[in-house]
Amino acid sequence: MEIYCPQLGMMIGISYCLKVQEGLPCRNTFGCWKERVDVAAVLKAKFTDEQLYRAFNTLPKSRLQKILESVRSARREE
Amino acid sequence: MEKKVFLSEKDMPRAWYNIQADLPHPLPPPLNPATGEPITPDMLEAIFPMNLIEQEMSLSRSIPIPDEVLEQLLLWRPTPMYRATALEKRLGTPARIYYKNEGVSPAGSHKPNTSVAQAYYNKEAGIKRLTTETGAGQWGSALAFACNRFGLEIKVYMVRVSFDQKPYRRMMMETWGGTCVPSPSPDTSAGRGFLEADPDHSGSLGIAISEAIEDAVTSENTKYSLGSVLNHVLLHQSVIGLEARKQLESIGEYPDIIIGCAGGGSNFAGIAFPFIRDKIHGKDIRVIASEPTSCPTLTRGHYVYDFGDTAKTTPLLPMYSIGHGFIPAPIHAGGLRYHGMAPLVSRVFTDGLIEAKAYNQLETFAAGIAFARTEGFIPAPETNHAIACAIEEAKRAKEEGKERVILMNFSGHGIIDLPSYDAYLSGKLQDHVMPDEEIEKLLKELDEYPKPK
Repeated sequence: MEIYCPQLGMMIGISYCLKVQEGLPCRNTFGCWKERVDVAAVLKAKFTDEQLYRAFNTLPKSRLQKILESVRSARREE
Repeated sequence: MEKKVFLSEKDMPRAWYNIQADLPHPLPPPLNPATGEPITPDMLEAIFPMNLIEQEMSLSRSIPIPDEVLEQLLLWRPTPMYRATALEKRLGTPARIYYKNEGVSPAGSHKPNTSVAQAYYNKEAGIKRLTTETGAGQWGSALAFACNRFGLEIKVYMVRVSFDQKPYRRMMMETWGGTCVPSPSPDTSAGRGFLEADPDHSGSLGIAISEAIEDAVTSENTKYSLGSVLNHVLLHQSVIGLEARKQLESIGEYPDIIIGCAGGGSNFAGIAFPFIRDKIHGKDIRVIASEPTSCPTLTRGHYVYDFGDTAKTTPLLPMYSIGHGFIPAPIHAGGLRYHGMAPLVSRVFTDGLIEAKAYNQLETFAAGIAFARTEGFIPAPETNHAIACAIEEAKRAKEEGKERVILMNFSGHGIIDLPSYDAYLSGKLQDHVMPDEEIEKLLKELDEYPKPK
């Protein structure tokens, strides 16, 4: 089963959504899949509470913040 | 009554419109996540040329479009405005629906309006090469086109799952002379790290961003380019609304409702901001951003997992980050409610200058099919959100017996997105429950995938 991913702009299966945040689920997993899958049950079966907290309840980064973090990280690597 | 409204090349706008000059409340400065202090131009200089950074920070109402940029935009601009007569007839609405067709650009979307400008300013600054990331390739192909026009090299880091499954935009990039690699790639330190952990990594937009920025920071004469969210991107897109206003004026019309789909906000801002200026100065109009219910940034915020109490003893409950009076503490504290959206779009939303509506995937594809079967053009899936909203407003006009004028941005065509239409038409996108055996298979797959500590 696949749905159209509004972020990537293509059809995608849920297995991608569940690991896309460096092994943690995409923030949109609930919104995208709630009609088709018991998302909460799947997540609770496979992730710890701490992991889910990190995936869904931490402060999201704006695009500019993500860019600046990547700049800092790249400069450290230089 | 004419089907199309053209604007002559000599009447094309010669300056972009910067809404920052008219905002009732100025945009708060972006903060450096490391220090909490406002970002200064020199922090951005590692990845953007100073001429674009100046535009990013500019408060000037009008910024001239350089002749070299205008010359390139003239390849497809001014874009035609259509009256959706067949759609109106199908709906039986007294509303007059106009759409600005941005799908006529070489890359098939509104994106080249900014990619051309960004390529020009980079070249002016002496830059020889650009890097960027792309999901399914819409932005990557637009920037590859623009770099070709100005003789710049370009390397696009494309999320691997898209690179493997959706090759046509990669082919477009390569046709225009660009280099496109799957991300994570072995070409950067960030990419190598992810490949070491999982050689079959599917990639993500976050990883592709890291790779594109690392490449820009560590390579000679190279900068990074972004196709949404930032102020200068929205500035370049204002040409859409400026043209639309002139086209409507030429036939004695002015819109009651302006509609654009909103993901990162750039095409919405492009059609809407010149009209929001009129609203700020007293025009009685409605401006609507339409977005997916799956990630409703403006209407409901994002889904979050609420622990219910700080001790994390109550069951996890999924809910939206805004709406129903619930805002998770970190989001509330950070004041970052609409974090996926362009700050300027978030600002006009917070100021009550625009409304937001969300539509689910099935509604939007139904709208796209209705549009294709009446107006002929097959819309990009994201454009379908604007069409769904326009149809809803046209039906409301019918119920209320009002002759409203609706202006919508047709942000791109969907010729390269036909697999998603195929899924819709074959019933695969219906809201049915995933079978148990498929869920069991999925859970087994997850067991095999490395999880973060």
